Amino acid sequence: MNGNMADFADDHLVEQAKQGDVEAFAELVCRFQEKIYHTILSLTRNQQDAYDLAQETFMHAYKSLRNFKQSSTFYTWIYRIAVNLTLNFLKRRKMDEKREVHVEDYSLDVKSAASTLSPERCSLKKELSRKLKEAIDSLPLTYRASFVLVVSQGLTHNQVAKILRCSENTVSWRMHKARKMLQQKLRPYLEGE
Amino acid sequence: MRCRKIEKLLSNNIDGELPEKKNKILETHLRKCSSCSSYAENIERLHKQAKNLERLEVSPIYWEEFTSRIKTEISYVQQEKRRGPPQFLRRKWVWAGAAWLFVIVVGLFLYLTQNKTPQEVYVFSFENSLAKIYQEIGSDPELEELFNSVILASLGELLGDSGWGECPDFHENLILWENLTEEEMRYLESEIKKDNKL
Repeated sequence: MNGNMADFADDHLVEQAKQGDVEAFAELVCRFQEKIYHTILSLTRNQQDAYDLAQETFMHAYKSLRNFKQSSTFYTWIYRIAVNLTLNFLKRRKMDEKREVHVEDYSLDVKSAASTLSPERCSLKKELSRKLKEAIDSLPLTYRASFVLVVSQGLTHNQVAKILRCSENTVSWRMHKARKMLQQKLRPYLEGE
Repeated sequence: MRCRKIEKLLSNNIDGELPEKKNKILETHLRKCSSCSSYAENIERLHKQAKNLERLEVSPIYWEEFTSRIKTEISYVQQEKRRGPPQFLRRKWVWAGAAWLFVIVVGLFLYLTQNKTPQEVYVFSFENSLAKIYQEIGSDPELEELFNSVILASLGELLGDSGWGECPDFHENLILWENLTEEEMRYLESEIKKDNKL
């Protein structure tokens, strides 16, 4: 394909990629890699997992590009793949965690215990951030996905509904419930600020 | 409006998803309800905090490496494709069609071969075996006598009270004579007369 790739719309690049243009697909990767990676990272809280899942997302998209009918935007489609892969990964991890003691989690606990022991080094805001991450991680998976996509990625309820294949009302309900749960868990920190 | 419903409106409001009409209802309620205003403050603070959670800064080199790895993976996939069967054989419908064709051909073959009239194959000849038995019995007088007595006993059993024992006129017992020819009948009659010295 001639010309600067950055000038072309997503749909055009998708068409080119479908015809076997690897550079067009690479341009799509460049456009979405950061957003996809950060979305996955917000859900997994592990850089290596986020990297691997983001790679898996794009490879999955490349392999099933022929089946992409373009009834939705590439943006929604790629997000849907990423979120589905991540949620499946988290479900598997949850099952594995039940079977074995997670070494990484233990190291995280040691770090967090250390920060609790030295309040001078850790401001209340930092403490709230840490607790907030923990509280978000403890949300049910579907609530967590909705919360991350709306709050961290700034997507609208409509966009999230398309990605998660549910109604806008469901997204709205999940957001409300997620906020309520977070508020209940973090009330002491919120009132102390 | 109840506080529980207001809490949901508050959540929608933070996400910028609240219609103008409901926004007015919300504002009116918040002015009156201290519990809801406190909840509104809390979730707003949480929203800001969650939005500003430290975002991991990643260097541009990281993303270059990310894209080049994807390209490498794609080239592997393409190599695999080239090594695999030709493009048209990768389509599912080709395999499904081939499977159906195979089933039809096998079915047709079985139908045509099974419907042919089977040739009669004689494995055992009853007539030959019977002739051999007669020959064997005829060559041994003792065996012939035993055979005759067994046949007569079984006939007696079969005929029961039909007067077989007393009646010398065997020709009245149809079961004995119905399959014999006229000539055989005459021969038998003469033999019986001889035996009875008539």
